[in-house]
Amino acid sequence: MKIDDAARRLLALPGETAGKLGGSVRGVIEQVGAIAWLLFACIRGMTRLRKEQWRVVVEVTRTQIRFTALDALPLCFLAALLIGGITLLQVYGQLSGFGMENYICQILAQLVIRELGPLLVGIVVISRSGTAIATEMASRQLSGEIDALYLNGVDPVQYILVPRLLGGIVSLFSLIIFFDTVALLGGFALAWLRLPLSIMAYLGALVRAVGPRELEATFFKALVFGTVIPLLCTSFGLRVRLSTTEIPQAVTKAAVGSLAILLLAGAFLSVLIYA
Amino acid sequence: MPSPLIALEGVTLLAPDGHPVFEDLDWEVAAGSRHYLSGGQGNGATALLRLWAGLARPVKGRILLDGLPLDLDALNHPYINAGKLGWVPTDGGLAVNLTLLANVALPLRFALNVGREEAEEQANLWLERAGLARLAGSRPRVPPDRTCWLTALARAGAKGSRLWIVDRPPGALDGPSLRAARGILELAAQDAATTLVLVGGEWMSALGTEFRIDEGRLSSGSSA
Repeated sequence: MKIDDAARRLLALPGETAGKLGGSVRGVIEQVGAIAWLLFACIRGMTRLRKEQWRVVVEVTRTQIRFTALDALPLCFLAALLIGGITLLQVYGQLSGFGMENYICQILAQLVIRELGPLLVGIVVISRSGTAIATEMASRQLSGEIDALYLNGVDPVQYILVPRLLGGIVSLFSLIIFFDTVALLGGFALAWLRLPLSIMAYLGALVRAVGPRELEATFFKALVFGTVIPLLCTSFGLRVRLSTTEIPQAVTKAAVGSLAILLLAGAFLSVLIYA
Repeated sequence: MPSPLIALEGVTLLAPDGHPVFEDLDWEVAAGSRHYLSGGQGNGATALLRLWAGLARPVKGRILLDGLPLDLDALNHPYINAGKLGWVPTDGGLAVNLTLLANVALPLRFALNVGREEAEEQANLWLERAGLARLAGSRPRVPPDRTCWLTALARAGAKGSRLWIVDRPPGALDGPSLRAARGILELAAQDAATTLVLVGGEWMSALGTEFRIDEGRLSSGSSA
């Protein structure tokens, strides 16, 4: 009997595994679908905004940028300085072994601007603002505030979502530029304490290393991450229906989901732009 | 014959435990009429208000507002978008990150496209009527108290709502709050085109025709 049970369980295993895999794929598709729907609703909402509504949206967007970008500057500064300096030290150590120190700027600029900057800024924004957005949306949903807004003639998509989308894009773009600058210049200053580097040679090589492709990558990654993070976190927050105990679950799902999509989208964009 | 402002057509609403709150309910609210739903808490009056506002989802039947079906998912009803509905839930339904003044001014700016200064002027006037002028710059209290409910009344008044759906205040109102709330509702009732649907204490009975909810059925009570 026990052997029968074990055999049955063993036989059911591939089906269960496939089911779980199917569930994950369905989850990703659902998330992408939710983002696409919210994005469509935002764009439609934006096209219908009237003059005074635009003023309100700009006011809320300004607040979002303050929370998402300005308040994140100290953390981004610290992360960029340390990561820039440490990466420079590590890369220099490896390159000097082969007598290829001249390539340090090119490698560092490409590494920071193309990959590290957008990725780390995305992680900072998810951990600070994405979780805050999910919590806020969940609380507003539970308290009936969103229903009340709509019933009083305030379209929640226009008033809540559009400013978060615009604020997300502007904040991500500004933070990535800030991060890249601090990582490349501050990192040099930090590494200069230990390495025999010339600032003029470093700057000259840096200017040569940064081309239109790096700007393209920064722009597209800021656009995609700035769109995905607020919309996905909003979508998870708004799924809370019954109890406050759902809020931490929604926030965790929002953070993990945003991080997964950030990594996937980052890799996809890098392949698309540089491959 | 003009179509009713709100119509419930064969609506069945179930409680979360599956118990029917209303079954096959038909009801019409004519534009300009005044209704007062009496009875204690738990009699289904709030559920009925939520149905009228489109917040409760019936399992059967449909709800029409100004001749068009209500669908909260669509977030797109012309009557609501135009800011004609004044929704005053027990907790006020205020944005907790905005001051009371900004809460009252927001629908004016958003739904009626009124400029910020004019909207805030209007909001201040209505907050004064609600006896909340000195609290205009503060944020809503958590948990919501009567000031939130009074602010929601002021919000409905400031944007010139044509249909007021007002749930009972949270707890008893003290003398000044009662006078302020009555004053606002009487001011709204002065316009013959305004429709009032109220749930609450006895003091509201003077403002509309009384209805009772008994076992999921609506029946006329005493007339005011």
